Amino acid sequence: MAREKFQTLTEPMFYILLSLREERCGTDVMAWVAERTRGRVSIGPGTLYNLLDSFQQSDMIRETHVSGRKRSYLITSRGREILEAEYRRLLVLTEDYQACVEERRQLP
Amino acid sequence: MRNTKYCVNNFCLYDYRGVEERLSDMEAKGWRLEKAGPSLWKYRRAEPARVRYAVTYSDSASWFNPGPTEQQQSLEELCAAAGWEKVCDWFQMQIFRTANPAAVPLETDEALRLEGIHRSMKRNFIPVNIIGLFLLLFVARSFFLALFTGDLYGMVRNNATLFAASISVPAVCFQVYLLSNYFLWRRRSRRSIEDGGTCLPVGRAYRRAGLVMWGLVTLFAAAYILSELSGGGGGSALYFVLYMSLFYLLVFLVRRTTALLRGMKVSKTANMAGTLIVDFVLAFALIGGLTYTALNHDWFSGGSGSGETYEYQNREWDVSPRRDFPLTLAELTGERYDHISREVRDRGSLFVSERNYWEIALLGDGPKTRNLSYTLYETKYPVLQESMLEDLLEDDPVRFRGMTMFTWHYLPEDPAPWGAEAAWRRHIDEDPEDTWILVWPGRAVEIRFGSPTEAQMAIAAARLKPEA
Repeated sequence: MAREKFQTLTEPMFYILLSLREERCGTDVMAWVAERTRGRVSIGPGTLYNLLDSFQQSDMIRETHVSGRKRSYLITSRGREILEAEYRRLLVLTEDYQACVEERRQLP
Repeated sequence: MRNTKYCVNNFCLYDYRGVEERLSDMEAKGWRLEKAGPSLWKYRRAEPARVRYAVTYSDSASWFNPGPTEQQQSLEELCAAAGWEKVCDWFQMQIFRTANPAAVPLETDEALRLEGIHRSMKRNFIPVNIIGLFLLLFVARSFFLALFTGDLYGMVRNNATLFAASISVPAVCFQVYLLSNYFLWRRRSRRSIEDGGTCLPVGRAYRRAGLVMWGLVTLFAAAYILSELSGGGGGSALYFVLYMSLFYLLVFLVRRTTALLRGMKVSKTANMAGTLIVDFVLAFALIGGLTYTALNHDWFSGGSGSGETYEYQNREWDVSPRRDFPLTLAELTGERYDHISREVRDRGSLFVSERNYWEIALLGDGPKTRNLSYTLYETKYPVLQESMLEDLLEDDPVRFRGMTMFTWHYLPEDPAPWGAEAAWRRHIDEDPEDTWILVWPGRAVEIRFGSPTEAQMAIAAARLKPEA
């Protein structure tokens, strides 16, 4: 189920996993994504809460530290695989796009 | 000037938009939500302000938790960082507010929002509604059974069945409507999200339907009480009023128990177990006590004797026997009896009247007695008379410890001696008994009298047939 569920990642999912290559708590994740995407991608706290929960249940991230209400997470090897797969998928899309544009340019 | 007020909450758990809009409107009017009970929401007076409310859902939240779970605390932490202040929660719904118009919305992924809502609905709304649906079908089982077997008379023969049906039918329709409305909303919202849109607004129709349902239930309850009171069923009316009062008292006490245990910080499991035990004990004490009292004091018989009695030959006899009997033993036999007891029982409904007359007289100085019993069934509706007759003439198996001992059945007889349109006599197998069913337009009579002569049949017919 989890494999099917995260076969492709949405932008917020992609950036959350990317941010958790380093240990971060939820609020840091929100701040990192907003900064990295210059505000283009914003993740609501409710959405982030649900995604962190889903990722944890699918063994894509693990909880590393709890301090009061603050919980920190880190990506797992499975999470890295899914992130890599998404990266490769995006690369294929980009390459296909470039190839099509190149073919069109070479037409007489 | 009041500083707090309570409002009935008639929102469904999945109507997040309705809740958000209502709370924002209330705060703009100077009322801030303080506490969300299962059915009553408490507001406190505050400075009118333009504030955004938003809700999200947490699976781990429960009415029985001693406080916010770790997951809820994490959510609150994330929301606080995004500028949202927790107000309270209502079942799995977590309610937040912010005065910052630029704050990031709580939910930025509609597919995830829909998933979260559905998880909460599966834990709460859907099972509760399905259980409620089955309970309602159980309460009005005799009506629904009569409905499915096409037994029109069975559906309307007494006020209790009619009343259970009049409450259950709109309530069952409402429950089915609520469930289908949710699944329809979910399907449409999923399509909308797949097309790049958001979850769809739920609309106000279900809240209006809820009001109509409660209006109907109140109306039918009042009609039932009035009908019972006018038909001499004061005991049934009293039982119903007390039952409903005790039911709401029970709900109140059970909720207070949960709140008390929550305040004592007992675990969720202990709270659920404690609440269940209190619920069971209170239900047994209150509803069981009421039912025991009602049965012990014969509240449901609808019977009414002749008032003052005296004792003779180990039996009670009427000082002044009732005089409103259409037919008496004295008229039927031409004899005079010194010791008589008479009683009338009403069991009818708004559509069918069912009045049973019962008389017993002491023969001489006793100890032998003579009995007369007859029931008048009347209806103004020919279609009901047909169904009523089918019901009366149906084979009636008499069982003992699950085994059928014998079956009463009716065989047609010559109606001429009774002066009736039709007549049937009750038999056990081939043996006739002293019970007849006589039929005139608009009236059927079941009469029980030992071996009547033709002259006695004529007297009974003259007295019991409807007036021209």
